Amino acid sequence: MKLLIVDDSNIIRSRIARIALHPRLSDISIVGLAKNGLEAVELCQRTTPDVVTMDLTMPEMDGIQCIEVLMNGNPELNILVVSALGDKITALSAMKKGARGFLQKPFSDEQLADALLELAC
Amino acid sequence: MTNLSESDLKVFIDAVTHYFSHLTGEPAEIRSSYLTDAAMPRFDYTGLITVSGNFRGCVYFSAPRLLLRELLIQLQEPDTCEGNLLDAVGEVANTISGNARRHFGSSLDISVPITIRGATEQIKAAVRARPFAILLRWQRYEAVVVVDLEPM
Repeated sequence: MKLLIVDDSNIIRSRIARIALHPRLSDISIVGLAKNGLEAVELCQRTTPDVVTMDLTMPEMDGIQCIEVLMNGNPELNILVVSALGDKITALSAMKKGARGFLQKPFSDEQLADALLELAC
Repeated sequence: MTNLSESDLKVFIDAVTHYFSHLTGEPAEIRSSYLTDAAMPRFDYTGLITVSGNFRGCVYFSAPRLLLRELLIQLQEPDTCEGNLLDAVGEVANTISGNARRHFGSSLDISVPITIRGATEQIKAAVRARPFAILLRWQRYEAVVVVDLEPM
């Protein structure tokens, strides 16, 4: 299972990458790190991930726009939104565009691992 | 001047205490919250979020270098370089503001964080008169959340 990590925060990208190395997630390999939606689109074309963790508030192209573009390219893609935005309308909007899960920041290591495992099944 | 009710203010207090307790197991202790004047509290690094949509204003989180360094270590981030300290202060500001949308709704549009080291002028320019300041302590370090929010 190939994972692409999308977040404008370097420390969040590193943290998700570290959590993804946990033995519980041994089926997952990281294929790329993107700091905005535009980078994510380009990396997605090059690396064909199965799972994407997606921040929403990002420069250049935000997460909602990016989900729409990525899902148009690959409707089978599993996108987990990982965002601080805490309102239902945003979560529903992301799900309508095709995201399969929503994890609110701040998140624990276990919460992210559980969410990734759920998507990977 | 900010127009926040007590329950509005509590949203930000809860968000910042939750942030530290959830990530590190140690909640931030709220020392005081008050309407501040021209001397807005700030520390070494500041993450500033501007607000638009049905609101105007900004939210910032400001913390000393040592607090951010400790936070990175607790997050198992070994690289405590300048870039990651700025990243951390921006991420705290982003998370607090984003979480507040659960209360204020999606019409509280928030920007990506602007991160600042030192420099008071940029902060002064962004914040109007008499915002709310929430002074907190985490570990043995003080920090502050400043909220300047007004419905349109």
